[in-house]
Amino acid sequence: MVEFLQFLVPGILIGGVYALLASGLGLIFGVMRVVNFAQADFMMLAMYLSWALFAGGFGLDPFLAVPAVFVVFLLLGMAVHWLFIRFVIGRRENHDAQVILTIGLGLIFQNLILIKYSSEPRVVAPSYANAGDFIGDIFISRVRLYAFLLSVLVAALLFVFLNRSRTGRAIRAASENWEAATYMGIDIDRTNRIAFGVGVALTAVGGSALVTFQSITPFVGFRFVVVMFAAVVLGGLGSVSGAFVGGVLIGIIQSVSQVWTSAAVKNVWVFALFLLILYVRPNGLFGKVQRAI
Amino acid sequence: MLEISDLSAGYDGVPALRSINFRVGPQEHVAILGPNGAGKTTLLKTISGTVEADSGSIRFDGQDLLPQSPHKRVEAGIVHVPQGRMIFASMTVADNLRLGSHRRFARDRHDERRELVLDIFPALADMLGRDGGALSGGQQQMLAVARGVMACPRLLMLDEPSMGLAPRAADDIFEGIARLLKSETTAMIVVEQRAHEALEVCDRAYVLESGEVALEATNRELLTDERLAAAYLGSEI
Repeated sequence: MVEFLQFLVPGILIGGVYALLASGLGLIFGVMRVVNFAQADFMMLAMYLSWALFAGGFGLDPFLAVPAVFVVFLLLGMAVHWLFIRFVIGRRENHDAQVILTIGLGLIFQNLILIKYSSEPRVVAPSYANAGDFIGDIFISRVRLYAFLLSVLVAALLFVFLNRSRTGRAIRAASENWEAATYMGIDIDRTNRIAFGVGVALTAVGGSALVTFQSITPFVGFRFVVVMFAAVVLGGLGSVSGAFVGGVLIGIIQSVSQVWTSAAVKNVWVFALFLLILYVRPNGLFGKVQRAI
Repeated sequence: MLEISDLSAGYDGVPALRSINFRVGPQEHVAILGPNGAGKTTLLKTISGTVEADSGSIRFDGQDLLPQSPHKRVEAGIVHVPQGRMIFASMTVADNLRLGSHRRFARDRHDERRELVLDIFPALADMLGRDGGALSGGQQQMLAVARGVMACPRLLMLDEPSMGLAPRAADDIFEGIARLLKSETTAMIVVEQRAHEALEVCDRAYVLESGEVALEATNRELLTDERLAAAYLGSEI
């Protein structure tokens, strides 16, 4: 039992970060039906920003840097939407263009970082990087606990934003029915721009939550892109809360599977569950059933 | 108030409207009648901006509407209650109404507008906390119209408000619209299959056929001239 909990607890903790990473991807897909293949590379850029703020002479703690990371990536995301994404939104024939555009952006980000910082892994190690506490017999890593708490806090703020603010309500309306939202006088282009910025910033914050226990390379995105997409599809495309549950679930499966099988095959279990859930619920756990009213 | 001249529009090169001339005076109520596929919905969408015009002009208060984006047109007072209701099913009735008053001008009047729409459709008052998707078809249609009224329309456009409703529910909608027009000075366009109900709340009507205006007449002419009624209103009169 103790062994099981010793795997379950870290699984929940890392799952919270996966949830945050995935919620950004899910928000963007939900609002503008764009599958952003560059999402994991925005995360990578955010990890480098956290590293630069920590190691580059500022000595800024990566968790304290989160507000700055959020603002920078909110603006970067809005700029990328304004410069590129808005031209490939809408019509069905734009889907190919969306795929090429977002994959291309991701490649450009990776290679710019490769040129600037080489492929040498970077590490952010604050003084408490290896600290931890025993609760009963369970050891809890402090940085992972902080990362989880940060994710929960950001999730709560996102919930309040989407449900209580005027812009948040407009985003939900546009995600449910963009045409009806248009008739409400909602500026769809602006709503998309904000949703893209917020979506990128959420994943970016997830990235800075990771830097204290995940080394950074220009290609670190690959490690997380599968998890992010699986979480979004598991939870139900377009559902932000679904992406959250999907993320936590994947964290738990990855970790708990190590009680029985090697860590090398942890993603096999993720995909087994993934296929099972899609077999039983093709729209994902929280997916809306598509129907005409 | 609304002046449309020589308007053509379509989808991907397939014309749906051909050289439409159409006008709505201040506070005037106009019905658009005609068979399915005649272009009625396309005409409304071209006015609200979700379908682009190919040629011609739409003027609202003398202003050229076509270069303006859809949300600017809502700000100008053109409010479209679309066919099929399109309420936000996952949001509460109260949130749906709040979205109706999204633009600043309407937002400042949210509370008084909500009182007004709950007077018009009292049935909604008990359902403010319920999800839009949990309402019956008739209630959803009330919500759709109410949400449009929240936006403080100067020109309210209703696309088939009785579509898919039982006769009793359709009556409720038209009674609500009649109550609305008593207290509001808005101009209105109603697209309807139930020509008789539509004409009761309208001054004038256009009949569209195959994307063209086949007839323009006052409701008195349509309702009293048997030839016109037989030709354009079918068996419904």
